[in-house]
Amino acid sequence: MAKKKTTTAKTARMAKLNARDKKTLNSLVGMADDVERFASRGRAPHIEIPSRSLSNVKYNKSRKIIEMGSSKNKRELFNLSQARTYMQTLLVGSGCKQLIEQGKTTSIRGLYYLLKHTIEGTREETFVDQGDCDPVIEDVEVALNALREELHVYASNRGAMVGNIVVNDNGDEIDCSRMGSGGYAIPSIVEEEVMQFVSCKADFVLHVEKDTVWRRFNEDKFWQTHNCILTHGNGQPPRGVRRLLNRLNNELNLPVLCLLDNDPWGYYIYSVIKQGSINLAYESKRMAIPGARFIGLRSIDYERCDLNPSVTIKLTDNDIKRANQIANYPWFEPKKRWQKEIKKLLSNGFKLEVEALISKDISYVTEEYVPARLADQDFLD
Amino acid sequence: MAANQRSISVSEFFAKNRHLLGFDNPRKALLTTVKEAVDNSLDACEEAGIIPEIWVEIIQVKENRFEVSIQDNGPGILKKQIPLIFGKLLYGSKFHRLRMSRGQQGIGISAAGMYGMLTTGKPVKIVSKISIRKPAHYYEVQIDTKTNNPEILNGRGNGLDIPAGEKGRNIMESKKIQWNSFYPATEDEEPQEVRSGTRVTIELEAKHQRGRGSVDEYLEQTAIANPHVTLHYRDPDQEWRTYGRATEELPPEPKEIKPHPYGVEMGRLVTMLKEMKEGTISQFLTQSFTRVSPAVARRICEGAGISTRAGVKKIGRDEADKIYHAIQETKIKAPSTDCISPIGEDLLIKGLHQVVPAEFYVAATRPPSVYRGNPFQVEVALAYGGQSVVQKVSAEVLDQLLDQTDSRTIRQFLVNTFDGIGNDAADKIIKEADFGSRQSPTKLNAEQRETLHHAMRNVKLSDGQGIQVYRYANRVPLQFKMRDCAITQTVMGTNWRSYGLSQSRGNLPSGPVTLMVHLASVWVPFTSESKEAIAAYPEIEKEIRLALQAVGRKLGLFLKRRQKVKQEGERRSVFMRYLAEVAGAVSDLNGSDREEIHSNLLRVANRVTKVADTKFDESGNKIQEEESFGDNVLIVEQGDPEEALKQRLLEGNPQQKLF
Repeated sequence: MAKKKTTTAKTARMAKLNARDKKTLNSLVGMADDVERFASRGRAPHIEIPSRSLSNVKYNKSRKIIEMGSSKNKRELFNLSQARTYMQTLLVGSGCKQLIEQGKTTSIRGLYYLLKHTIEGTREETFVDQGDCDPVIEDVEVALNALREELHVYASNRGAMVGNIVVNDNGDEIDCSRMGSGGYAIPSIVEEEVMQFVSCKADFVLHVEKDTVWRRFNEDKFWQTHNCILTHGNGQPPRGVRRLLNRLNNELNLPVLCLLDNDPWGYYIYSVIKQGSINLAYESKRMAIPGARFIGLRSIDYERCDLNPSVTIKLTDNDIKRANQIANYPWFEPKKRWQKEIKKLLSNGFKLEVEALISKDISYVTEEYVPARLADQDFLD
Repeated sequence: MAANQRSISVSEFFAKNRHLLGFDNPRKALLTTVKEAVDNSLDACEEAGIIPEIWVEIIQVKENRFEVSIQDNGPGILKKQIPLIFGKLLYGSKFHRLRMSRGQQGIGISAAGMYGMLTTGKPVKIVSKISIRKPAHYYEVQIDTKTNNPEILNGRGNGLDIPAGEKGRNIMESKKIQWNSFYPATEDEEPQEVRSGTRVTIELEAKHQRGRGSVDEYLEQTAIANPHVTLHYRDPDQEWRTYGRATEELPPEPKEIKPHPYGVEMGRLVTMLKEMKEGTISQFLTQSFTRVSPAVARRICEGAGISTRAGVKKIGRDEADKIYHAIQETKIKAPSTDCISPIGEDLLIKGLHQVVPAEFYVAATRPPSVYRGNPFQVEVALAYGGQSVVQKVSAEVLDQLLDQTDSRTIRQFLVNTFDGIGNDAADKIIKEADFGSRQSPTKLNAEQRETLHHAMRNVKLSDGQGIQVYRYANRVPLQFKMRDCAITQTVMGTNWRSYGLSQSRGNLPSGPVTLMVHLASVWVPFTSESKEAIAAYPEIEKEIRLALQAVGRKLGLFLKRRQKVKQEGERRSVFMRYLAEVAGAVSDLNGSDREEIHSNLLRVANRVTKVADTKFDESGNKIQEEESFGDNVLIVEQGDPEEALKQRLLEGNPQQKLF
């Protein structure tokens, strides 16, 4: 039964995605043609890969997102330190081609297993572990200017959604107001080809950091009382969650509000949601939500909510270093309220988790804290 | 008290102080005996212009008692000289002249005979033959230690005459007199008769042990420094071994020279003046010394304030003193150095190559120089790479070594027995064999012995391997007192790190290196009579250092180049490894021909690594590959190590068995 369904879905998708797949295939084949042409002329082949380091990332002030610069790295076959990654890059390319031609998708881990084998005549593995493979996949994405979805590779699912919205996921209509306590697991690929919005009554999106807090909100039916969509990304949100938030914001014009821990990690999650990440700067334009707002927790909440000193966690040296780094990011630097916020965190010398509010009352966060902020429109930009 | 005062004969003195002559312990006694006899034989052959062939035979009579025979094909000894040479200490032809030779004092062989007599009571047996037609003489000689005079025991004090030819051979056989009448020959050759020669047989209390400081090692080292000699050696196990000669050419005969004024001390000057019966002081100076012309003599006399015409008879102690000081202040040309015959760079390399298997050989001969008025010359040869001694040892020999050793731990055993094994290397072997550090070498069972042998062969020692230093004085290997010797000290004082070897400060460098240092001189300054170490004169040390640096530079060049070749090889192999994968991926992607892409990429890889080669050279020294090493370097291509080993076996190990 299930099998039959997937095959029909596949053929439907194939017909629809053909043009896009063709484009991806073309660029993959182009990569191989380059090698063939260079080799037949007796020249050393190379691949040009846009650099994904911090130095090649720029903050676009007018668009308010992080964008990738134009500097590129040459990856050469006949360079001792690059020969292995060069080979891996081509292997990933051939793996993706196989996936596209067969109309199948796999996780990055699946692709790793697909390509992992012992190099003939040696004891060396093409990929030692998944960590060896993941960056190469990202390299192929940027080198071909193709999205991961276009390469038929996805990351593992993380994050969930509930709220007053109905979506169509791969042909199935899903009413997110009827998802029980677990919610709708946000898939890794949420492009329009896979997921369409059917109807939406919600007024805004509340994104929380992790599962435990999200459950509190779901159990208290916060999304019903405040007519919103409730999402979480299990820490740093994966691409699927970020893309979905972006689409909700862009296509349905829903404001995105974030409730994150009061620590440098929480600040950075907000930064990634709002401006995009350094590593995936090339995807910022599809992912970043410059209009996102930060509800809390704020470093003033210790006094404002009159919290017990025992719920504080001391800042580590690493936290302090990271906080100063974040304060110096060009997108935080001109924002005075943010500078004040970070300064206050450092002067407090401790951090606060959202769960700390439970010490006041189990439902304090859903019944008092967030409603109060919403009422005052008290957000950080 | 006064009544007890009496003179001491030399023999008595040395009988009590045998350690001064190298007879400190039974093991060393065996070596010293062989060494003294072989040295004499070589000197005799070379002086007579005969290409030396020497037989060394050691027979174990009973435990701790050996009969040692050494025979040469030299000129033989005149009948009346035989007893004196072998039965009187300090009798010889070499002491009073200044000429490069192995023996110097005339103590050695008679002292060996005396030691044998003292420990076993047996006389020295000598056979000597001066021509193929003339009879040979057989003597049994014993030294009278009281008077330092020989006593002939056989033939009522007249010895025995053995006629030449077949008849003589029968007599010798019936009387059990040993004599090799023929040179060894292959089956289809007519054996050549030994025309002349001397054979000395000494029975002595001794101990035979292999390893460092053994007879085996001495003969091996002698073969290196004397490539014109063939040595036949029968060890106590009755195994024959032959070290063949690498050249048929005798070294040029060293000339005898007069002393140089700078090398004469005050006392000797007075003696020489006394010996001069008549003539003027000018005549005395010009006739007794080298490099003193009448003009130089005049300047010396002026310096001393003595008339050149003054008769020698009138020179007293004070005048002699003045002359002595005047000599030191007068500029006199250095002595002529043609009195020294070095081995030569070619033969050094040949000799070393015959005995030490290695990858790289280099030699350097310094121009002659002078210390204290004595001419001398330094030569150095170096071999790099190849197997260390431990790895050559067969299981049987190891068994014997283990049986003989008195070391308490395996570690001690390894370090003491094998040259070139330092503590690090020994630890590596022990670790490989998985033995405890305190395990006793004598208590190993057969299985453990096999494990040890296996470990010795398989451990890669080149890092922890100690360097082997072969020291030579006038072609004679020096085996003891290594630390006291000027050669060792200079090797330690030289900075080898800049030549690509590792070395901790003030120590010998480490690495698979065999270093051979030869000091040739008319008078080698030994630190003692047993001739085991060379005294540290600054002039000698300087020459040694310069020679070491000369070979060091070439070694450094070789190592650098080898490193580069290795790096290039590795580079290439890294690329090669990935090419097939890349070709496969490309062909999967665009459906092109996998083989074609692969071969195209291979071509590129070869070109790319080749380009890197030449680039390296251009940016480094602009010297051409072939020329940069200069002369006197031998590089043995090392393919697969196993192949190389097989090859070596095919070519014939220098330690080939004769019978």
